[in-house]
Amino acid sequence: MGNGLPPQVEARGLTKTFRNNGRTLTALADVSLSVAAGEFVAVIGPSGCGKTTLLRTIGGLLAPSSGSVRIAGETPTAASRAKQVGYVFQDASLLPWRTVLENVRLPLEVNRRNHASTHLRPERLLDLMRLEEFRDYYPRQLSGGMQQRVALARTLVFDPSLLLMDEPFGALDEITREAMRYELLRIWQSPLTNGGRRKTVVFVTHSIAEAVLLADRVAVLTAAPGRVKAAVEIDLPRPRTETTESSDEFRRYAAELRSLLRDN
Amino acid sequence: MERPLVEGDARLSAERRAVEASKPLSVPLLSFARSVAPPFLALAVAVGLWEAWVRLRAVPEYLVPAPSAIAQRLAEDPAFFARQGGVTLYGALAGFALGSTVAILLAVAMAHSRFLERSLFPLAIMVKVTPIVAIAPLLAVWFGFGLAPKLFIIALIVFFPVMVNAVIGLRSVNPWALQYLQSLAASPWEVLIKLRLPSALPYLFAAFKVSIPLSVIGAVVAEWFSGEKGLGRVIQVANSNVDMPTAFAAIVSLAALGVGLYLIVSLAERRLLSWHESAIDT
Repeated sequence: MGNGLPPQVEARGLTKTFRNNGRTLTALADVSLSVAAGEFVAVIGPSGCGKTTLLRTIGGLLAPSSGSVRIAGETPTAASRAKQVGYVFQDASLLPWRTVLENVRLPLEVNRRNHASTHLRPERLLDLMRLEEFRDYYPRQLSGGMQQRVALARTLVFDPSLLLMDEPFGALDEITREAMRYELLRIWQSPLTNGGRRKTVVFVTHSIAEAVLLADRVAVLTAAPGRVKAAVEIDLPRPRTETTESSDEFRRYAAELRSLLRDN
Repeated sequence: MERPLVEGDARLSAERRAVEASKPLSVPLLSFARSVAPPFLALAVAVGLWEAWVRLRAVPEYLVPAPSAIAQRLAEDPAFFARQGGVTLYGALAGFALGSTVAILLAVAMAHSRFLERSLFPLAIMVKVTPIVAIAPLLAVWFGFGLAPKLFIIALIVFFPVMVNAVIGLRSVNPWALQYLQSLAASPWEVLIKLRLPSALPYLFAAFKVSIPLSVIGAVVAEWFSGEKGLGRVIQVANSNVDMPTAFAAIVSLAALGVGLYLIVSLAERRLLSWHESAIDT
């Protein structure tokens, strides 16, 4: 995990069971995951393996049945309250009655006691997202990819140190998806959003190419109940570009992940 | 939500082109005339047929007065009908405000607690099925004459549709947006203000459109039983005097009131819900 900083996310022995009509479903079984500050970790696994459950448990939206999560030493609830955790979901979940700019401002209007004093100017973020022309548009006037860029700007605006992304490009078409991957990398590396220190990212996906292109490390989960089967360090140079994607190493990593997923 | 196949800009410019193409047609005055012409035409035809029928069949005035007789009665004493209409309008609006406020406050409580919903909903239905006309004379005994029984009756009529729709609306939030606000540690109050109430607005306006004409009916019922003034009282007195032109003139005034209030609600809806699906392509 390498950069010598203490772990930003420390999940230990997470187990989550759901009860439904008298049947018990184990979504996560003894999952441990440690993410260093500034690290980009992708979580990959077959559908229904508990990737989303893992992410929600880390973020405090779900309480684990057993095990514990610490975000920079705090409980997930405390970290959320301190506005240290930013979500991006598969659904952009913008408010349709607010314009793009008003949507980006939303996080600054709630839970104001814990206002990050360092919050970014919404207008600057929209410039960075190349959405400056669309400030006064309503979400329904935008395409899916643009809506997702607004959702990303909305989460970056309060400057959280940890980004939890739950298949954020899963609902987009393939062409937009590929463009959004590079867009995310560009923004993640932009000095505007990281202030010299990159944000920690936990990124759930079921796309192998996405995981290899984006992440420093890929955690592979098994089919339900989800367990961490392997963690693969992706030692590809950054910034990563289209040439990265066509390199032999890229293909080797992809093949390795594919075989890990196949053996489930 | 529809997802276009190609990234946004193509679709946007297509939309913009469509808007520009439709511009010469959507000159405000013309579109206004277009939306207003059909109902007026229909009304004119109906009134014409009525007038012809009364004249040709020589229907006596104490049975059905001709539109011209009603118009003449209105023209004779417009101040009288305006004054009485004002009393009815005031009651209807005050009762509507009271009933809606109580309904929305209760709906907020019920939307946050299944227990409250389960305990209050049956009561609300009981109130709803109580025939107002049957208890209206009793209300005069309880509250005397004047504004109090009137407000009570109107609020009772308005309450139910607003409450039912408000509960549904407050619960019909995008689950992702709700989760997003929760991930920001938003308080229940912030969730209510930022998410639940705006989500409920389309449902609330649907309820207002039903209940604003009901509030006029409620005012008339109240005036009938316990009023000293108002168009309901005018109709009752005119009926007992077999003065049909006056009764019908009051009914026409009531219709104008109802339509006017409905139009105001529709206009407010259009202003406030321009973002909503129901406002697109209208």
